[in-house]
Amino acid sequence: MNDPRENPIQRGFDRRGFLQRAGWLSAGVAFSESVLNAQTARPLELSNTGPDDIPRKPFGRTKESLSVIGLGGFSLGSAPTQDEAINIVHEAIDGGVTFFDNAWEYHDGKSEEWMGHGLKGRRDKVFLMTKVCTHGRDKKVGLRQLEESLKRLQTDHLDLWQIHECVYDNDPERHFAKGGVIEALDEAKKAGKVRYVGFTGHKNPAIHLKMLSYNYPFDSVQMPLNAFDASYRSFQNQVLPEVNKRGIAALGMKSLGGNGQPIIQGVATVAESLRYAMSLAVATTISGIDSLAVLHQNLAIARGFKPMTAEAMKAFEKRCAAAADDGHLELYKSTMKYDGDLGREQHGLPGHKELPL
Amino acid sequence: MAEQNDSAGAIPQRQLGRTTVEVSALGLGGHHLGDCKTLEEASRLVHEAIDAGITFFDNCWEYWNGRAEDWLGFALQGRRDKAFLMTKVCTHGRGADLAMTMLEESLRRLQTDHLDLWQIHGVCFDNDPELAYAKGGVLEALDKAKKQGKVRFVGFTGHKDPSIHLDMIHRGYPFDTVQMPLNCLDANFRSFETQVLPELNKRQIAALGMKPMGGTATAVKSSLVTAEEMLRYAMSLPVATTIAGMDSLEVLRENVRVARDFKPLSSAQMQALRDRCSQAAGDGRHEVYKLSLRFDNPQARLSHGFPLDNTQKEVQEMLFNEAGGP
Repeated sequence: MNDPRENPIQRGFDRRGFLQRAGWLSAGVAFSESVLNAQTARPLELSNTGPDDIPRKPFGRTKESLSVIGLGGFSLGSAPTQDEAINIVHEAIDGGVTFFDNAWEYHDGKSEEWMGHGLKGRRDKVFLMTKVCTHGRDKKVGLRQLEESLKRLQTDHLDLWQIHECVYDNDPERHFAKGGVIEALDEAKKAGKVRYVGFTGHKNPAIHLKMLSYNYPFDSVQMPLNAFDASYRSFQNQVLPEVNKRGIAALGMKSLGGNGQPIIQGVATVAESLRYAMSLAVATTISGIDSLAVLHQNLAIARGFKPMTAEAMKAFEKRCAAAADDGHLELYKSTMKYDGDLGREQHGLPGHKELPL
Repeated sequence: MAEQNDSAGAIPQRQLGRTTVEVSALGLGGHHLGDCKTLEEASRLVHEAIDAGITFFDNCWEYWNGRAEDWLGFALQGRRDKAFLMTKVCTHGRGADLAMTMLEESLRRLQTDHLDLWQIHGVCFDNDPELAYAKGGVLEALDKAKKQGKVRFVGFTGHKDPSIHLDMIHRGYPFDTVQMPLNCLDANFRSFETQVLPELNKRQIAALGMKPMGGTATAVKSSLVTAEEMLRYAMSLPVATTIAGMDSLEVLRENVRVARDFKPLSSAQMQALRDRCSQAAGDGRHEVYKLSLRFDNPQARLSHGFPLDNTQKEVQEMLFNEAGGP
């Protein structure tokens, strides 16, 4: 029997875009001219390209540059001990990683605390990001979380502060409501406590585009980017070009599909998955690293990194597509597994214990 | 059946799409039937439903690993001709041969030689339409079963996203029915009512509503709406029937009370209900079947490579059976 998933016409239909088919944004997304004419970023321009160096890429339209691989904060909090986490931070910095990710809600604060310990005396060597977790609540909650994040991270400012987990259809309207978290971003910038601002989410390109449709001057947008995404509710096809057109820095995450299932199931290897993600038009690829062994593995892949050719990327996408187009390799899009309990609570949904997937 | 429309206190009968068949405006859901405590209880429920004028009976090959069909088949002994009997086939992307095997099992469990309606179950993943329409796919089984006289009408079901339903419809197979969640919450969130229902009515495909309470009735439990308001809203839509889950005589009697002499809500009343729900419905909290994998049955997950949820009773039963049973 023919494999129906090989049929290019049908594939084309599926890739036309979940957004349009779902009609979630039936009113259309109106982008203002001034935003579209913003200085274009050069997200593929590598610097620091010595054979033993971790290359860097520009952070959007700014003069900053970031290491092509970033250290994920959630997985840092999953390290077996605080000492191991601190060692991961130290070795990552020594290895040339400059981008550090975190979130106020990861492991109830443990991720930020451990990273704060690891960064003692090394704060100026990193571009430090954490995320605010209002999940629809007002700016006061956001600003209170900022103070807690700064305290835990043992610093007086963040390089980047992002709205965490925009994954519910009505998140954009809640965030942009009067008195909402967007006003907290403005105030924190004005107070000099954060340099840049952005938002994150793992669920659906339509929600990201809705966030962008408000034309707020975000500096960064974080999203899942990997070869599996290319054929399923694709951020790469729908959001990444829009973000780059606006000169906003794209931050990639979930290069291994969130839980490494594509690797475990033999669909792809770690090296090709990570290389693919880093070859996209992003400022950095945030990688979940919960042990020194994983750090060493990923640093070896990033060191002296040369982007894949367009042909090699296409071939890899094609190889993954048959397994990827029902979303079972991207559970963060297709299930509720990756939607945090705090966000669920704010949206009146049961927690993980009751509703694991 | 048509004359029941004129008799006092009858559950209305409605035309099934472009067919000449009529079905009761309230249907009995098969999953909840399998959730009854005993066979006797399920049987009593079916008998009382028939006596009350319910003719539409829903079921599915995979509900409770066959128990829901077994119990309905037992209860319909001697009453088969009073029911418009539907069950569903659970290939979830797999081929026509498997579908035909499932059909034989369903017929055997339901103790009948034919189904009135056979539907493709749980079209919920983005690539399900593509797989159904593939050469050797489940649609070929629908054709074959019709030709063999084992099923009279065919359709498909799903609870996930209107875009997937539209994909199934637009690819062009002549379905007789399409089943989907329809309630006053849906209208405000990834809406089948606004996106799929008009398309079906235009094509004279019978729309079958399900989940009139939003699946888990959290909107009722949180006092946003009453169960009666929800059922009345669902039944007021242009559908052939509204399939409701009823796992006790008490629920059956309550639903039958609403369905008897049913008068549809006015469009203003329906709008008021939608408006009342709009704030709470916007993130999908009261329609978890659209957000979570929870309502995607084990067979669907297995064939698509999604993880099972071992906290679910149905999954535990399935694993227990596969391990050799008691």
